[in-house]
Amino acid sequence: MSQSSAILLSLTLNGEPVQVAAPAHWTLLEVLRYKLDLIGSKQGCDKGDCGACTVQIDGLPALACLTLAALADGRSVTTVEALGCGPVVHPLLDAFDRHDAAQCGFCTPGILMAAESLLRRSARPVTRHEAASALAGNLCRCTGYTKILDAVVDASERLRAEHDDGR
Amino acid sequence: MAADTPTQSPEPASAAEAERPDLTRETWQIGKVHRKVDAMERMRGVARYTDDLKLPGLLHAKILRSPHAHAKIRRIDASAALALPGVFAVVTGQDFKIPYGVIPWTPDENALAVHKVCHVGDGVAAVAAIDEDTANAALRAIVVDYEPLRAFFDPEEALATRDREHTINPYARKGNLSKHVLLEFGDVDAQIAGAELVVEGEYFFEGTTHGAIEPHCALAQVEPNGVLTVWSATQVSHYLHRELAKVLELPPHRIRVIQPPIGGAFGGKSEPFDLEFCVAKLAIKTGRPVKLLYTREEVFYSHRGRHPMKMKYRTGFTADGKITGVDARTILDGGAYSSFGLVTTYYSGQLLCAPYRFPAYRFDSTRAYTNKPACGPKRGHGSVQPRFALEIQLDKAAVALGIDPIELRRRNDIGADVATVNEFRVGSNGFQECLSRVESASGWRARRPTLPFGQGLGVAGSTYISGTNYPIYPNDMPQAAVQICLDRSGRARVFSGANDIGQGSNTMLAVIVSEELGVPLEDVRVLSADTDLCPVDLGAYSSRITLMVGNACLEAAQRLRRRVCRSVAQRWQIPANRVVLAGRMALDREDPARNVSSAQAFQWAEADHGLLGEVGSYNTPKDRHGDYRGGTIGASPAYSFTAHLAEVDVDTETGVVHVKKIWIAHDCGRALSRKIVEGQIEGSTYMGFGEALMEEHLIDPAHRGVHAGPSFLDYRMPTFLDTPELHAMIVEAPDKNGPYGAKEAGEGPLHSSIPAIANAIYDAVGVRLDRIPFSPPRVLAALRERAQLEEQGLVPAHKPDRRPRSAR
Amino acid sequence: MLRLPQFQVATPTTLAEAVDLLQRNSPGARLISGGTDILPNLKHFLDQPGLLVSLARVAELRRIDRDDRAGRLVLGAGLTLAEIAQHPDVRAYFPSLAKSAGLVAAPTIRNMATLGGNINLDTRCRYVNQTELWRGGIGGGCLKSEGQVCHVVPTGRRCVAAMSSDNVPVLISLGATIHLHGPAGQRALPLADYFHADGLRHTHAAPGEITAAISVPLPTSPRRCDYIKWSVRQSIDFPLVSVALRFDLDADRSDAAITDVSVVAGVLGAKPREVNKLDELVVGRSFADPSVAQIVSEAAYSQCKPLPNVPYDPAYRREMIRVLTRRAIAAMV
Repeated sequence: MSQSSAILLSLTLNGEPVQVAAPAHWTLLEVLRYKLDLIGSKQGCDKGDCGACTVQIDGLPALACLTLAALADGRSVTTVEALGCGPVVHPLLDAFDRHDAAQCGFCTPGILMAAESLLRRSARPVTRHEAASALAGNLCRCTGYTKILDAVVDASERLRAEHDDGR
Repeated sequence: MAADTPTQSPEPASAAEAERPDLTRETWQIGKVHRKVDAMERMRGVARYTDDLKLPGLLHAKILRSPHAHAKIRRIDASAALALPGVFAVVTGQDFKIPYGVIPWTPDENALAVHKVCHVGDGVAAVAAIDEDTANAALRAIVVDYEPLRAFFDPEEALATRDREHTINPYARKGNLSKHVLLEFGDVDAQIAGAELVVEGEYFFEGTTHGAIEPHCALAQVEPNGVLTVWSATQVSHYLHRELAKVLELPPHRIRVIQPPIGGAFGGKSEPFDLEFCVAKLAIKTGRPVKLLYTREEVFYSHRGRHPMKMKYRTGFTADGKITGVDARTILDGGAYSSFGLVTTYYSGQLLCAPYRFPAYRFDSTRAYTNKPACGPKRGHGSVQPRFALEIQLDKAAVALGIDPIELRRRNDIGADVATVNEFRVGSNGFQECLSRVESASGWRARRPTLPFGQGLGVAGSTYISGTNYPIYPNDMPQAAVQICLDRSGRARVFSGANDIGQGSNTMLAVIVSEELGVPLEDVRVLSADTDLCPVDLGAYSSRITLMVGNACLEAAQRLRRRVCRSVAQRWQIPANRVVLAGRMALDREDPARNVSSAQAFQWAEADHGLLGEVGSYNTPKDRHGDYRGGTIGASPAYSFTAHLAEVDVDTETGVVHVKKIWIAHDCGRALSRKIVEGQIEGSTYMGFGEALMEEHLIDPAHRGVHAGPSFLDYRMPTFLDTPELHAMIVEAPDKNGPYGAKEAGEGPLHSSIPAIANAIYDAVGVRLDRIPFSPPRVLAALRERAQLEEQGLVPAHKPDRRPRSAR
Repeated sequence: MLRLPQFQVATPTTLAEAVDLLQRNSPGARLISGGTDILPNLKHFLDQPGLLVSLARVAELRRIDRDDRAGRLVLGAGLTLAEIAQHPDVRAYFPSLAKSAGLVAAPTIRNMATLGGNINLDTRCRYVNQTELWRGGIGGGCLKSEGQVCHVVPTGRRCVAAMSSDNVPVLISLGATIHLHGPAGQRALPLADYFHADGLRHTHAAPGEITAAISVPLPTSPRRCDYIKWSVRQSIDFPLVSVALRFDLDADRSDAAITDVSVVAGVLGAKPREVNKLDELVVGRSFADPSVAQIVSEAAYSQCKPLPNVPYDPAYRREMIRVLTRRAIAAMV
C-alpha cells in the first residue's frame, strides 16, 4: 500500500478563498468536517446512497462523500453554513422552520443545499413534483417528506414574489 | 408523489401575536403551530451532533467484527496490532466480562464477545488509534482463532433443538427459547366455537430496521477530576448511565452521560451498544478522548429492529360482525440477544386489545434465539406485527359477512372509559371520530363501490400506549421529573432528562412552560439529556415523553405560575385568579390595560419568594393494569387511536402497487403543537408504507448469515418520489391523564398504515397479501393464483362489472 | 465512516498526459472521472490502486459537437449525465438517451457522474459490491474479489456480474461508436463490440486506453425510441430491468413501415444483449401493427435470461422484460 502524501488545496469555500492541506485519499466531506470544522454536511451512509453530505460544487448539488478533496481544488464549494450566514434569515430556512420540515435535522442541510440550487435555477415557483424530483437523492427518515415539500414550494413562491417586487 | 396542493395550515405565532394575547382563549400556546426551539441551529449546521464534537488529543476507535454467524473464540492475538505505530490500546471481551441487557431480567450480552460470537457482525475486539486508517490497519492485524459452530437462522428450527450444545445464547433456560408467554382471558375456544363466522389466517411480518440517517456514534473522555464523560447518540441516557456503571464497575456518580442532538433513532438507539462501552474503556485505558462512529454496515448489524413474526390467527365473529374471540399464536425471531425481547413477547399480544372489544382472547407468543443480529424495539414496538394480522382478519370478516369494513370496525369499538379483555383501563377514545374523518376525507362511501378493478381503498385501525405504567427496572421513584427556573430578565430555564430525538420533545416542554408562565417559546431555554445537569428521565421510548415528562413539566410550571400570580395579585390587590400570564406579560383579566412585563412579574415573585425554581415529577397511576403475572406489561396511562385509509392502484401485469394517497386520522388527546403532531403522523405513516412495500431486513441463510444488503442502496427506504400523498388529520379526545389531555402521536400512526394498504390491495384486485413486503413478484404471484382459481370457478371474479372490457 | 485506501491523485489536463500517466504507473493506476462508481468500490477495498488519474481537468473530454455533415453527434466522455440529459441536441435527436441519462441514480449523482464513467461502469453483483467484512462473511469473496468461487453460478468459471449502466443499452441501440485514446494511438469501434462476457474485465479497452468520446449517428429517418428501467424505487436504485428500444420508420406516422429495429437489454450478465433476428421478424411491418409489440417482447423474453446476480427474482425480472417491452412499444404507437 502506498502512502498518500498530503496535498494543498485552494478552493473557494462559501465565497471565501481557503487553503487547506489534506491527505490525497480524503474525501471532501472528511476535509470539510474534520479539517475545517464545517460540520453542517453530514455523513449518513458512507457511499453516496443517502444525500446527507450534499454540498454545492460550482453551484450544483453534489455528494461530498464521493468527491475527492483533491479534485475540489480550484472549484467553488458551498455548504449549508453559507445559507445560515447574514443578517436576514434565508427564505428557505425560514420556510423549513415555519413548516416544521426538519425533525431530527440530520438530513436537512443536504436537502437545503439541493433545494437552494433548484430554487436559484428556477425561473418560476416550483411544483411539488419538481421539488420531489430534484430532492430524490436525499433520504429523510423522519418526516415522510410532506412538510419538506410544503416548505420548498412555499419558499419558492415567496422568493419569486420578492424577485417580482424588484428586490 | 404528492399532488400540487400545498396544505393550508396556520402560521406559527408571530412576535406581534405573542405581544397581544387573546384573553378570550382558554390557552394561548396549546394547539398552535410553533417554530421548534432547536430546529434552526440544526438546519443551519451549527448544532453539534455526536460526530461533530471535537476534543484535543482525540483518538479514533474501530471494532473488529465476526465474519461467522456462530463460532467459539479460541484465541485472540492482538500483539501485531498493538505494535503498530499510532495504536494506543486494544480491548476484547476479557475487558467486559460483566453482561448487561436493557431489561434487567435478561442480561445476556457483553460489550464484546467473551467466549463466542453469535451473529455475523458481533463485536470481537476494539482498538483506539491516532486516526481511522491506523485503527483499520490495526483491526486487520488482529488474529482471531474461531471454531465455527452450527448456526440457526430459522426460529422454529432453533426452538426444536433442545440440545444444550446447540444453544446460541447461554442465558437461554432451555434450548434456544428466549421467552414464552401464554395468556388467556375468557373462554376463547367456546367463544370461537359459538361464532357464526371463524376467520383463520397465517401471516408473516418480515424484519425491518430503523434506518435513522445518523449512524450511532459515541465519544468518551476521562475528565481531570476523574469523572468519565460519555457523549452518545442514544435515546436512553439514563439506562446507558446505569449499564456503563455496571459493566465498567464504576459508581454512577463518577459517570456523566450526555446526549447531543441526535439524527433520528426510532427505537434503534434505545439501549446500550458495544461502541459506548468500548470508547469508555479505551478512554480510561489511554487517558485520551476516544470516538467511534459506526459505518452504515455496522448500524445494520447492530439492528434491534422489528422482530420477524410468524402469526396464526383465529377470530370468531357474529353474523353482524362483532368479534366473539381472538386466538393468536406467534413465533418471534429474536436474533442472538434479548434486547427488549421479553417485553416484545408480551407486547405481541398485550397491545392488541383495543380499539375493538374482545369478549375472549388468548395469545401464545414464543421468542427464539437465532444467529442473527438481535431484534428489538422499532417504532410501534411489538404491536405493529399483530396489528397487521388482526386488521386483515377484520377485513376478511367484513368481506365474508358483506359488511362495510368501516362499519364493522365501528360495531366493535371498545369505547371510552372501559377495561379491555386483558384488564387494561382505557380512558379517552376518539377512534369513532378517526374512522369518520378518514371515511369522509377519502370519499369512501361514494368512491369505493365505483372504483374499477385495479384500484381500491382499504381501511385499518389501531391503538398505542402513551408510555408504560412501569419502568424498566422496578422502583418507586417518579417516572419523569423536570426542574424549571425563572430569572429576573423574564426567561425560563427547563432542565429535563428527556431525550429529544427529533420528535420535538424539547419544544413540547417549552410550549408547556410558555403556556403556563406567559413567556414566548424563544424565552424558554430547554437543557436536556445530561445526567449531570438534569433530573433523571427514563428516555425516549414507548411514546412516553409528552404524557409523562409533559405532566412533570406542567406540575413544576403551575407551581411557579401560582407564585408569580400571587405576587402580581398582591401588588394589584386583586384575586390571584384574575392574573393572566401570556404574551410576555402579566395582565388583569378584567382590565387588560393593567399589565406588566413578565420580567417585572418574575422580579416581584423573586422578591417575595426568593429564587424562582420548582420541580415537578410524574408517576403513573397504578390502577390501569391487569391483576395477573405480566398484567403490568403494556398497561399505559392513556391510549392513542388511529385510522388509516389507503388508496392504491395495482398493476395487474407487473404486480407493482402504487399507493396514491393515505388519509390518517389520529387521536392524540390534545395536540400541544400542531405541526409537530402532524409531522409525527406523516413520518409514522411513511415508515409503515416503506415496510409494506419495499423494506426487508434479511439475513441470508444460504450465505452463512450475512445481511442481504447492509446499505442504503440495498435496504430500500422510500425516496421523495416513492412516498404517497399523506393527509394527516388530528383528532382530539382529551385524556384526563395527559397534560392538557395530550396522548402520544409518534408511534401509533405507524401501525395501521400497513394493513390499510393490504386491505386496499384486496379491494382493488381481490388478492390477500398476508406477508410483507408487498413486493411486485409476490403481488403478481398472488394475482395469478387468484386468476387460476377464478378460471376453475373456485372463486367468483372480483369486481366483474368494473373491469376493462378486455380483461373481463 | 468507511475509509478510502491510500493513494496519490494526478490531475492531467490533456488526454495524452492522462494516457501517459496510466501507462507509466501501470499496474496500480486507475482512472477517476466523476468518482461515483470507483469511490464506493475503493471504500469496499475491492482494489487498492497507488494512483488515481483524474480526468476532471481534461477539457477536451467536455466537448459536445453536432456534425451535420458527418451526420453524428459527438459527446465528450467527460460530460456529466445531467448535462447529457438536459442537452437540447440530445433531447431532440436521442430522447431515449436523454431519458436514460436522466434516470441514473439520483440528481446529485447525475451532476457528478460522467458519460465515460457510466459506459465503463464496473459490473455489479450482490456478492461483490460489499465491504471486506461482508465478503469475509460469505467465506472470502468471489471470482471478482479475493475469492475462488462464483456465488451466482457456483459451477461457473466466469464472472457473471451485471453490466448495470442505464446508458449503454440505449447507446448501442442508437448505433453509437466509442472513441478510445491509448498508448497505441486512437481507435474507434462500435459500442456494441466494446463489451464482452466476463465480469472481471467486461470491456475491450486495452491497458492504458481511455474513453474519449461517444459518437451517435443522427437519425436519417423518422424514429421511435424509448428506454425502460425498472427498479424498486423511483430514484437512487440501479436498474433491475433495463431495455432500450429503437424503431426507424419510413414515414413520420405510427402506421409507417419499420425500416430498422434495435432492442438491447442490460443487467443480465457482464455484456449487454442485443435481441437478434428482429429484422426478419418486424422490418417491413407497420409500426402500428399490434403484433409488433407482441413479437418484439416475446423475442426479448426468450433471449434475455436474468441471473440472481442482482436483487429480485430472476424469473420475475425476465417476465418484466416482456411486459414492459410490449407496453413501451404500444405506448410509442
